[in-house]
Amino acid sequence: MKAWLFLLPLGLASALAAPVELKINLRVGDQPLQFAQTYQTPQGQPYQIELLKFYISEVALVRPDGREVRAEGLVLAEFKREAPTQGVSVMKMDVPAGQYRGIRFNVGVPRELNHLDAGTQQMPLGVNSGMYWAWNPGYIFYRLEGVALLPEGKQKWVIHMGTDAFRIPVRLQDLQTRRVQINIPPTGGSITLNLDVAKAFQPGPGGAFVDWRKQSLRQLHGLSPETSLLMSVVYFNMQTAFSLAN
Amino acid sequence: MQGWRVGWMGLLLLGVGLLAVYLWPRPKPLTTQPSPPTVVHPASPLAPFAQRAVPVPEDNPQTPAKVELGRRLFFDPRLSKDGKVACASCHKPEFAFSDGGKPVSTGIFGRQGSRNAPSLTNVAFRRHLFWEGRSPRLELQAVGPLTAHDEMGMEPEELAQRLGAIPEYAKAFQEVFGEPPTLKTTTYAIAAFERTLLSYNSPFDRYQAGDDKAMSEAALRGMELFFSEKGDCFHCHVGPEFTDDEPRNTALYTVYKDIGLARATGRDEDVGKFKTPTLRNVALTAPYMHDGSIQTLREAVQHYNQGGQPNLNADALIRPLGLTEAEVDDLVAFLRSLTDESFGTNPAFLPP
Ligand code: HEC
Ligand code: HEC
Repeated sequence: MKAWLFLLPLGLASALAAPVELKINLRVGDQPLQFAQTYQTPQGQPYQIELLKFYISEVALVRPDGREVRAEGLVLAEFKREAPTQGVSVMKMDVPAGQYRGIRFNVGVPRELNHLDAGTQQMPLGVNSGMYWAWNPGYIFYRLEGVALLPEGKQKWVIHMGTDAFRIPVRLQDLQTRRVQINIPPTGGSITLNLDVAKAFQPGPGGAFVDWRKQSLRQLHGLSPETSLLMSVVYFNMQTAFSLAN
Repeated sequence: MQGWRVGWMGLLLLGVGLLAVYLWPRPKPLTTQPSPPTVVHPASPLAPFAQRAVPVPEDNPQTPAKVELGRRLFFDPRLSKDGKVACASCHKPEFAFSDGGKPVSTGIFGRQGSRNAPSLTNVAFRRHLFWEGRSPRLELQAVGPLTAHDEMGMEPEELAQRLGAIPEYAKAFQEVFGEPPTLKTTTYAIAAFERTLLSYNSPFDRYQAGDDKAMSEAALRGMELFFSEKGDCFHCHVGPEFTDDEPRNTALYTVYKDIGLARATGRDEDVGKFKTPTLRNVALTAPYMHDGSIQTLREAVQHYNQGGQPNLNADALIRPLGLTEAEVDDLVAFLRSLTDESFGTNPAFLPP
């Protein structure tokens, strides 16, 4: 009877929905990342980045009153050599036009999708994503790979972060001050994020860092006692590796 | 008397097997298809266990063309980054598809792994794959070696491109899957081939099939021990495949360098747990254990006889067994009677 009353706001919202593009700039510190360029970790280890792939899911824009506008979808952001690293569009969504005070999302695959049979899933999930973990059920959420320039030569290293315990929450919102302002006009717009890839190498408690001189630390992907502390360090660092550009 | 005991033993074995089959968790619905092109060597008698239908997942039905494609892929080093490593480099037919004498295997660019390559004997029946048993099926397991940086080291796009550029493969994938090669379809074809790797022509199988002469006296005594509370092997090495497919700590070390299941779960109680391996063709798959640290079957049996090393996670079944030297020899003779000499020479399992 009064059903139309409930439908009205829905109709209005979709009428005013504006297309928004989520874009990413890869950074090393405050510089644009370049593949095949040599950087140094805070501990003075020279390295290059070769590949970065990660899942973004559970995206929501935050209104000034704190309510969230959710954007459906799961995307796989992919960066590799000979491909751009700045202003790369990773996701398209529709949200009501208006003022927002931030964005939040998770780096990772939602729990309910993470444990489905990977053989029967479609891209961006499934084994063709290059993110399926095989020896560990579920997906790699954040996959960063590169080489370390060690005295004995170039050595490949990987950071494969995943499992439900390592889904990275990113919260770029500020309701208290007016520092974060995202204005989405009715014609649509974009939100650009900086991702400081080098954050992963910041030292953790007691100065622990990913020391590539140790062979066992060049493969950071499990929960063995040797690597689990560093996994936690990287995980912690990653929560603050994203920021709003401009 | 002997006959009666053996009959009873057979019943017990079958019972345990059936129970195990019943209790085994199934990760996904498996259709037991009317026996697919089960490649049993012509020499194989109809061993009782050979008559079980191979479990086949609904989304990957066996067809002769798919199995044939899988066989070509399994033996083809072009599936690896440096073009030198095939599945068969580490899973060699003549060693029951294990890595013939190597404690750990060598992958692309000479990179060494850290674990012993298991036999693929009757791997179709494994419900949990890898040493920690965390992969639910062959299709998904194969993603591991194809992409691991110390095995074959391929990216999905790279593999798809490389195979797509080989006309015979482009054609075969089109015929079998109706699409160009991808990592996924590659693993599906390989899995179909792996499901044909059946081996039921050991003296033990022939004995089960009614050939009283098939096993030596020593092997028969060893069999009694294996299935008795004294030897106590059969609780873990259970059923027709001699494995419960479950992770167990056999007190191999006090401090495990490779922590096994705990690598995936992070739990202390999982340190040192590895999946019970099958013992079929075990005489062909030395060296033994997850790290290939035990050289001979006799040393493996002695490990159990001594009750292993002190370890808090050790399985309750691991304890000094008090076997005499002669009994140890008998157990070894029994393990040897699980060898199917025809498995490694079956032309259906060799490079095309
Ligand atoms: C470089 C050597 C190497 C190559 C190449 C290799 N494997 Fe393996 N395979 C291993 C090792 C080592 C293990 C045990 C790894 C573990 O459990 O962590 C294993 C485990 C397995 C298992 C699990 C068996 C069980 O009972 O749990 C299967 C199945 C398998 N491999 C199939 C394959 C297939 C199919 C390919 C090719 C796509 C392949 N392997 C390529 C070394 C190799
Ligand atoms: C508690 C369960 C359990 C019991 C009891 C047990 N095993 Fe095992 N067996 C295992 C596991 C698990 C492994 C692999 C351990 C590892 O790699 O660390 C294994 C490995 C082996 C291997 C090496 C196989 C290979 O391919 O590497 C042999 C041989 C073997 N067992 C024989 C026996 C015999 C004979 C007995 C009885 C005296 C026995 N086992 C009792 C669980 C068990």
